[in-house]
Amino acid sequence: MKKIETSLDKLHSDISNFYKFDLHHFIVMNAVDLGNEKMELQWFFCDYAHPCETTMFQTVAGSNDLIPSIKDIVHPAWVGEAELVDLLGLNIENTSKGFVLEADFDGAPLKKKK
Amino acid sequence: MATRYDIPVGSQHISLLEPLHFKLVTENEKIVDVEANVGYVHRGIENACTSKFKFRQVSFVVGRVCGLCSISHTTAYSQVAEKLIKAEIPLRAKYLRMLVIELDRIHSHLLCLSHVAENSGFEALFMKTMKDREFSMELLEAVTGNRVQFDYSIVGGVARDLKPEVAKEIQQKLNTFKPKLDDIMDTFKNNWSLSLKNKGIGSVTRENAMKLGAVGPLARAAGLAIDVRNETEDLLPWKQVGFELITETAGDVHARNLVRLRELYVSIKIIENILNGLPEGPIVQELKTLPEGDATVRIEAPRGELFYFARGNKTQILERLKIKAPTFSNIPAFVEIFKGNEYASVPAIIASYDPCLSCTAR
Repeated sequence: MKKIETSLDKLHSDISNFYKFDLHHFIVMNAVDLGNEKMELQWFFCDYAHPCETTMFQTVAGSNDLIPSIKDIVHPAWVGEAELVDLLGLNIENTSKGFVLEADFDGAPLKKKK
Repeated sequence: MATRYDIPVGSQHISLLEPLHFKLVTENEKIVDVEANVGYVHRGIENACTSKFKFRQVSFVVGRVCGLCSISHTTAYSQVAEKLIKAEIPLRAKYLRMLVIELDRIHSHLLCLSHVAENSGFEALFMKTMKDREFSMELLEAVTGNRVQFDYSIVGGVARDLKPEVAKEIQQKLNTFKPKLDDIMDTFKNNWSLSLKNKGIGSVTRENAMKLGAVGPLARAAGLAIDVRNETEDLLPWKQVGFELITETAGDVHARNLVRLRELYVSIKIIENILNGLPEGPIVQELKTLPEGDATVRIEAPRGELFYFARGNKTQILERLKIKAPTFSNIPAFVEIFKGNEYASVPAIIASYDPCLSCTAR
């Protein structure tokens, strides 16, 4: 798997330069709570071409940082973004709670307790 | 001027087998906008897998993610855990995993096809397809011990060996099933009244399938050649057992039926090849190391690409487990393919999409 380090500032341009809808399949967005209010963010893609290569964009952000949405570049990303807002309490732009949990659900079940 | 209606479908509805809610906005009979709500059955399985269960026990937990494709979940998890502990499993175990995955694909595809028939108003075909599907449930029980939620793949291999009499029973029942499948294929392919409900309905183009990130039969019916079995020879030797990638081009309900039906023939061929060339040897590898680092696995479940990410920290409890189910990937496409269709076509479109919310919400 190819890993590409990015940052919240560069994320949009990095994925915009990489992603071509007819070449790459977006697998999912993932996040891992590292503790100490830090989140590791990952975006997984694979090629349509055979043999396919998986590419992961990766960065670390603060738990309350505003994370840019990539759904204007990668349309199906809205589903993964909405799920992580609910389950890990991420603050992703233009994404509200209430996709897999109730909108008024208190807290985020996958976020580590302080 | 057309009259606009907001029509709720679900979360409990006669044409929906899953707790899924749509708000369909129609202008007269035509659907012009769709909102989907999938948040009814979140069970916190990812959280449980990283807090309450040791990593070897997790394969039994993820087997409960879905009743229909539990073998895909247990196999994907077992593979990702084996990567974390750097284990190579016996070849016989790999073949047995493929055997159960394909038996599972047969029962899942036939279930979907039967519901397409039912939701298209063809009750007799629904009953025939369900009746003919029963053999696959019996075989799954004979091989794994359970009709559903079989804990067959475990970290290090598989839980039960294949007895010679069960192998013989599989071949006998497949031989009985083949002419029945020809008959089902003929009806789905050529029945005039079914074609009125399925052809040109719920279409998605190849370009839109790519833009919307579609996977599985939904994507392949639109001509998109995406099947994880084609890409994961290192984990399971699909090409050695006769895997063949199936695509259609029309992208409608009819094409999705044909993809699933043609895949049933491929599954039968794979199972027969496995039975004829099943390697001798152990079925499980004794493993004592602890999971460390990151690993990902993709596997082709009956509905499409299933993805697992796991992170181990050299303890018994995983740091993170992420499950991405195929229905989750297909939600954007599903919302779009309703648009432009008549409201009366909604039940057949839903069934042909084959949603699994149990997997999606976890």
